[in-house]
Amino acid sequence: MKIRVDRSRCAGHGQCNMVSEELFPLDDQGYSAIRDAGLEVPTGDEDTAEEGAYNCPVQALSAEK
Amino acid sequence: MASQPFNRDMFNDFDFEDPEFNERFYDVLDAFVGRCPVAHSTTGDGYHVINRYKDVKQAGQDWRTFSSAKGFQPNRDPQMPLLPPEECDPPYHNSWRNALNPYFRPEAVAAFEGSLRDEANHLIDQFIGRGECDFVPDFSSKLPGNAMFKNLLGLPPEDIPTLIKDMDAGFYGPLEERTPSLNRAFTYLGDYLARRRDEPPRGDVVDVIAAGVELDGAPCPWSDQVGIITDLALGGIVTATFVMSGGMFHLATHPDDRQALVGDPALIPQAAEEFVRYFPPVVALGRSVTRDVELGGYQFKTGDFVLLNYASASRDPDAVNKPTELNIHRERVPHSAFGVGVHRCIGAHLARLELKVTFEEFLRRIPEFRLRPGSQPTFETGILRSMKSLPLVFRSARKDGKQP
Repeated sequence: MKIRVDRSRCAGHGQCNMVSEELFPLDDQGYSAIRDAGLEVPTGDEDTAEEGAYNCPVQALSAEK
Repeated sequence: MASQPFNRDMFNDFDFEDPEFNERFYDVLDAFVGRCPVAHSTTGDGYHVINRYKDVKQAGQDWRTFSSAKGFQPNRDPQMPLLPPEECDPPYHNSWRNALNPYFRPEAVAAFEGSLRDEANHLIDQFIGRGECDFVPDFSSKLPGNAMFKNLLGLPPEDIPTLIKDMDAGFYGPLEERTPSLNRAFTYLGDYLARRRDEPPRGDVVDVIAAGVELDGAPCPWSDQVGIITDLALGGIVTATFVMSGGMFHLATHPDDRQALVGDPALIPQAAEEFVRYFPPVVALGRSVTRDVELGGYQFKTGDFVLLNYASASRDPDAVNKPTELNIHRERVPHSAFGVGVHRCIGAHLARLELKVTFEEFLRRIPEFRLRPGSQPTFETGILRSMKSLPLVFRSARKDGKQP
């Protein structure tokens, strides 16, 4: 599973980071620091990844296999 | 365009409660954005107001430096209990938000659409035959209560009219009735939560509020759980009421925009987002500064109280193109009306659904309306802004839509 971020939508609310700081790192300005290639989700963390992506108030995140 | 000077020194001695701020709301906001990144107030213990988009955003994102642990109101009565999750910081804040958020996602609130549409039509039925209404008491102060109390909190339907009446009187009634009315409403909600704690779970958000979360490894205090249900009710009622009212005021006075939405209801969601930007129900919310820090060219000290002026930030030309124009055709509407950062409005998707249903149903059944001749809406402003009256006139129609 990979987490991807639509950078044009991310507004830096940090709601994903509240679910997991490891899976949803933020940059110094509070925006998602996930790179364009996406972030590989470690096995066993899929539910947390989906939870964090759902938490985004502007639907900038996806967590898909 | 230069505006008249203000009677009050808005930049150095601001007061949210000054009637001049209410009357010249947009003039003050635009002066702040243009010429005053940080305004100051000597009211009570004093406070500062952060006015530009990028500074509001930076402070909103930096919850460690700009803390909510001492509440969002300037010169707060120390007797008033704090309302989590709005008035607390991570990690406790996150425990609550992570528990509550699933019930506020777009997919979750979509389940309420049918019920909201029925309620909107029921409210319209009450006045459509009269050819006139006061949109605030007759519609916009009622629909959000239905969304919150019936759909989200699952209250017994027979209790809702009294509760809405108390909430309504708490905000719009005679001054001396406001506090007792609100207290009745909050006591009712606390009693309801206690009852639900002893009942089998229903799979709704009240289950997780009644179950509570951990605070420092122990169950959180019951008073916080009552605070949560209170904060949800407070945050979800008067806010949506104002945006609905503001949008309807705009459409009553701008026939081109009204006709555009009647002709193409698909434009309604983006128009509603613009109404949220232009008619911000939450003008500003406060934070306490936890370390000496520079922002917006001002040196803040530990212990300072600051307000994040969401209303002015949404009119910052650095964030929004031609911000003083209400343009229902904006495809993207950048604004800070739902707040910025970890405390961002939990109910934004529910509010958007209420707005969409409101404008779709009202315009479908009453496509032509205007302000009652000689009348203007009346506003009230502090850190929240509300509309108290919006008299509309239209051609009366039968409830069934047939010509009389």
